[in-house]
Amino acid sequence: MRKSWLQGYILKRLLYAVIIAWGIVTITFILIRIGPNSPADKYLANIAARGQDVAQVTAAIESRYGLDKPIIVQYGDYLMHLAQGDLGWSFSTSMPVIDLIGKHWIYSFQLIFLSSLLAAIIGILLGMYSAVKQYSKIDYIISTFSFAGISIPNFWLGVMLILLFSVKLGWFKVFYDTTLPLLSLENLKALVLPVFTLGTGMVAGYVRYTRSAMLDNLRKAFVTTARAKGLPERTVIGKHVFRNAMLPLVTIIMFDLGSIVFGGAYLTEIIFGIPGLGQISFNAVFANDYPVVIAITLIGTFLALLVNLITDIAYTYFDPRIRYE
Amino acid sequence: MTDSTILEVQDLKTYFFTRRGAVKAVDGIDFSLKKGECLCLVGESGCGKSVTVLSLLRLVAAPGRIVSGQVHYNNVDLVHCSEEKLRGIRGGDIAMIFQDAQSAFNPVLTIGDQIAEQMTIHGSIDRQAVKNKGIELLKEMNIPEPDRVWDSFPHQLSGGMKQRAMIAMSLSCDPKILIADEPTTAVDVTIKAQILDILHTLKEKRGMSLIFVTHDLGIVADIGDRAQVIYGGKSIEMASVSEIINNPGHPYTKGLIACLPDSSTDSERLASIPGTAPNPIDLPEGCPFHPRCAQVMDICRHVVPKQTIISETHTVNCHLFG
Repeated sequence: MRKSWLQGYILKRLLYAVIIAWGIVTITFILIRIGPNSPADKYLANIAARGQDVAQVTAAIESRYGLDKPIIVQYGDYLMHLAQGDLGWSFSTSMPVIDLIGKHWIYSFQLIFLSSLLAAIIGILLGMYSAVKQYSKIDYIISTFSFAGISIPNFWLGVMLILLFSVKLGWFKVFYDTTLPLLSLENLKALVLPVFTLGTGMVAGYVRYTRSAMLDNLRKAFVTTARAKGLPERTVIGKHVFRNAMLPLVTIIMFDLGSIVFGGAYLTEIIFGIPGLGQISFNAVFANDYPVVIAITLIGTFLALLVNLITDIAYTYFDPRIRYE
Repeated sequence: MTDSTILEVQDLKTYFFTRRGAVKAVDGIDFSLKKGECLCLVGESGCGKSVTVLSLLRLVAAPGRIVSGQVHYNNVDLVHCSEEKLRGIRGGDIAMIFQDAQSAFNPVLTIGDQIAEQMTIHGSIDRQAVKNKGIELLKEMNIPEPDRVWDSFPHQLSGGMKQRAMIAMSLSCDPKILIADEPTTAVDVTIKAQILDILHTLKEKRGMSLIFVTHDLGIVADIGDRAQVIYGGKSIEMASVSEIINNPGHPYTKGLIACLPDSSTDSERLASIPGTAPNPIDLPEGCPFHPRCAQVMDICRHVVPKQTIISETHTVNCHLFG
């Protein structure tokens, strides 16, 4: 079936995305600028040590970055630049924000990509197995572990993993080594603990959601029909039941990507010293580096909106009954 | 098994093992199906007729289990044969249609996908030939615009269309036996008539044998050749349809016939059988019908009646005939 209405729907959603992004930028901008701190603060110790006039130097720095203008003018300037794709200048690292993000995004991406992919595969397979063998010993074992996995906060898990595998056993380095080439086995090894930290909670979630979504559908009449047609059990489960269980799963996986994954990645990067977007955003907050904070918030917003849109489109493929007007 | 017998069921028992005990849904069913005939399984809701036909193809899901019995088809015992052998027969030689076509189709796959899937699994490889045959079958079921229906999802079709598409699907591998589990219960009267007509034509044209599960004696009279009356999970009477209707033996069958509206009398109320169907978790000892039977005798309370032959085409399980 052709889905001609989908195009209009996507356009409409993209328009909404722009409006929402504008709202987020405005809120972030105002919140961060009403604080009492200035990007000049980090120079203050140096200035004082050199015997210079603090107030004068602060004024000079603020004037250089346009921070002395009324906030509404600054806001207007920021939006104008943003509309032209200019994310601003990072005070603390002395480079354009876009370059800073260009340098660091890959570290976040590799962590999130590997964790989500592995978690989805392992979680869904274990969940399917658990559902098909409901109330078996293995089902109980999987359920127990997934309950534990959901309950363990990943900042705690990360620290414990470092203590055990890096400090005690010495299998891994305590900190992530940024000198390693990205596409190398050493780099992959360096990511084992971070991926495990970020992925455990996700696997646990996927197991539980897959199991219940599969169980919801295993008893449906169409499953009996599928068996009565002479289909082998793997087709009955893998095609007929799983296709129907996919819908709630897509929601959960995409929702996780937006909240747990990005949030969890932020913490995981800080624990393991991975120089991803979470880490630079964390540093930027402490350096009062406004443009970086706003830019990364904006990227998060766009990713979340994009993921939502992809989810909505994915629905229409997994469930033909859904259409948007 | 005689030459004309295509399927023979012996002492079939299917129990559901629940926390409150074993639910004896099917507790000793015997019947045989002849080539080209329409055999009706008749009984009230909960008497075990649906579980009986599901058991024939081992489709009963846990906690249900076939605890004893044999189902002979073509020198194969379907209760004990390998999964692989059974899968070849399911949907191939023996096909099934279900009560509620709405839920019997997978909602996320097209009608065409679901029909083609069955043909492919039973060995048809040429996709175009599969599609042609599928659309031909839809056309044979009087479905308008079969090409469009082939590419439609179940929710885009009406209930009657779905039921007919379901019959088309069941016929896709030219089955020898078609099992229909109350296929007319969920559709309205006109569709019901159409479906009965289709099934009747199929039987005549293809020489197919039909097992028709129903609680509706009107349907039995309409398309049945023979009828098997089931009560409390047991076979209680088996006869040609005319004998069942004109000369019922078992008091329960008599009761069922008496319940039919009769235009020749003026009575305002329909007759009914006092009491309710037995609880399958706690079946009465002896004859399952004895608590509701007007002609109950002492022996009925303790001994399960054996099959008694009344005529060549009529058997009954009742102590009155013992």
